[in-house]
Amino acid sequence: MTDPIAMSIKVLGVNHRTAPLDVRERFTHGAHEVPGALARVIAAGASGGVLLSTCNRTEFYLVSDDEPALETVWSLLGERLAGAPSGGAREYGYIVRDRDAVRHLYRVSSGLDSMILGESQIQGQVRDAWEASRAQAGPVLHRLFQTALHVGSRVRTETGLGMGTASAASAGVAVAGKIFGDLAGRHALILGAGDMAELAATCLSDQGVQITLVANRTQERARAIAERLGGRAVSLEEAWTHFASTDIALCSTAAPHAVVTWERVGPVIAQRRGRPLCILDLAVPRDVDPAIAQIENVFLYDVDDLQTVAAQATARRRDEIPAAERIVEEETNLFWAWYGGLGVVPTIKELRERMEQVRAAELERALRQLGALSAEDRARVEQFSQSLMNKFLHQPTIALKAAAEEGRGYGLLEALRRLFGMESPE
Amino acid sequence: MIVTLHLVALTLYALATALVLAPFMGLGSPSRALAIALPCAGAAAHVVALAQLTLVGLGPALSMLAFCLVLLQLASERLLRGSAVSFFTSPLATGLVGLAVLSGLAPGTDVPARNTWLVLHIALSVLGLALMALAFIAAALYLLQFRELKARRFGQIFQLFPPLERLDQLNRIALVAGFPSLTLGLLLAVGYGTRFSGGMGFHVAKAQIVWGLFTWVVLGWAVWVRLVRHWGGRRAALASIAGFSAVLLVYVALKLVQPGAERFL
Repeated sequence: MTDPIAMSIKVLGVNHRTAPLDVRERFTHGAHEVPGALARVIAAGASGGVLLSTCNRTEFYLVSDDEPALETVWSLLGERLAGAPSGGAREYGYIVRDRDAVRHLYRVSSGLDSMILGESQIQGQVRDAWEASRAQAGPVLHRLFQTALHVGSRVRTETGLGMGTASAASAGVAVAGKIFGDLAGRHALILGAGDMAELAATCLSDQGVQITLVANRTQERARAIAERLGGRAVSLEEAWTHFASTDIALCSTAAPHAVVTWERVGPVIAQRRGRPLCILDLAVPRDVDPAIAQIENVFLYDVDDLQTVAAQATARRRDEIPAAERIVEEETNLFWAWYGGLGVVPTIKELRERMEQVRAAELERALRQLGALSAEDRARVEQFSQSLMNKFLHQPTIALKAAAEEGRGYGLLEALRRLFGMESPE
Repeated sequence: MIVTLHLVALTLYALATALVLAPFMGLGSPSRALAIALPCAGAAAHVVALAQLTLVGLGPALSMLAFCLVLLQLASERLLRGSAVSFFTSPLATGLVGLAVLSGLAPGTDVPARNTWLVLHIALSVLGLALMALAFIAAALYLLQFRELKARRFGQIFQLFPPLERLDQLNRIALVAGFPSLTLGLLLAVGYGTRFSGGMGFHVAKAQIVWGLFTWVVLGWAVWVRLVRHWGGRRAALASIAGFSAVLLVYVALKLVQPGAERFL
């Protein structure tokens, strides 16, 4: 049986710093897999768990002892590496404990630990993880995740960590926004159907841009993206005429040479009567002939341009790290104070009341058996029982308070309640 | 009292100018609330001063123009959700109030009685002119942002200036609102002259009539090319800038031909 005295908050996982993409994607858990995985960890002795699984990290947040539950997590992750040339999940993983574990989650939810510094998507992913693990989280992790969302919001509101755009795809959105203002209702044409094209198209779609067409050499993949984003799949040859009407053209094909050439789209763009056209060329080698940019109403940006915008945003965000870290530290202290003192005072009070009842009952029984005693002797016996009880309770009280200050109060309280048959708090 | 209130407005506008230009000096963006509160407070002092002015003469006219610019700046802030227009309007309004104070806020010798016709004529004409100035500012901002976007430069202008289409929209709105305002202002001048003893009630220089009509024609042309010829974007911005520059040049030329420090023209 698990010894709850040793229970504390732990994070065990892998992230973009410790594991390459091909390993991380093996560890990714879908929402439907979360309850099963957590059930196994809880069966191994953890009193609560939350599983946060994104493309950049898979992390188990546990209130658990050091060994059996953690071993289970390693096994769970290790199973997903079957066939992979590696020394197991531990090779890529890390464990963070107690106060550092709290700080870790707060940094994660703030975007301080993200691959793209300050990105806001993680906030929603932390919320989703909490929701998916709600039945198995337990009171401590409930509180931890609740406060983590609060910390994420504080960092985004009170610092500039989330300002600007920090990826080439989102930089493309920002640049298009500087041409058109509000992007909602604008039309976009996507050339290519690779991952980059899909990511950038999703970024545009998130801003309300209507993805009207997805053009690709092979129709099947184009159709899949078009269906997901509400557009129509066409062949590349069909796409050129649409340069007359679209607002944004996003190019990310795998072609070895420029496919958007003056000959193909020059005359078509002339029909726009001066309406601006934003072309985002995310392909390497480039998809768009640079000469197209000479047309007055065409704004052409390649990967280097967009990375310049993204790098500026990242640089500005870096300046905000100290302010964000201060908030994280402040909130970590608050949580730790709460966690440390969790139920200590009421539990000590309840324990003393119980002991006092036992002492009073036993004293009465002993006095009955002893027969006639002088008032002085009776007082002496009573004082003895009182003193004995205080001595017995002194060390547990000190230990409990010390554990609380070290952040291990929760586990110790659980043990105390079990040992003395006290009911667990709500 | 009028001068004191103008000096209060001048100080507040100057502070607002320093605030909006701070990002260009690497001092970080000011709080939006403060960037709005300062010109608002300045405008409050300014309107009290204007209520006591005769509105006739160079100083009062410049003061009125500055006030209209500040009001339009605040309206644009709301429309553009950014403070880029104030990069131009804020120093311009500050300069105009300063010039007004230096020119003297006392009216000229032939001051007509202040009545509704006159106040409306002056207010609408100056508002029309201020809207034309706003269209010019929006056009200038447009061309600067256009140049940066075409050249793929992502510096302060890219960061701080509003999107192209919003600037184009502001230019259009300013021109379309400015034309009827100026037209009404001029019609009121004609009506005022007809109603009161066959003249304006005070001396009207030929230059004043020439400049008023020239401004009206230029503004009308700018509106015509936007609405009828469907000019937009860079071409419309260039037209606005050319039109407003012509109006300013003609003003300076006429001022040189018929100098008079005490009159607007």
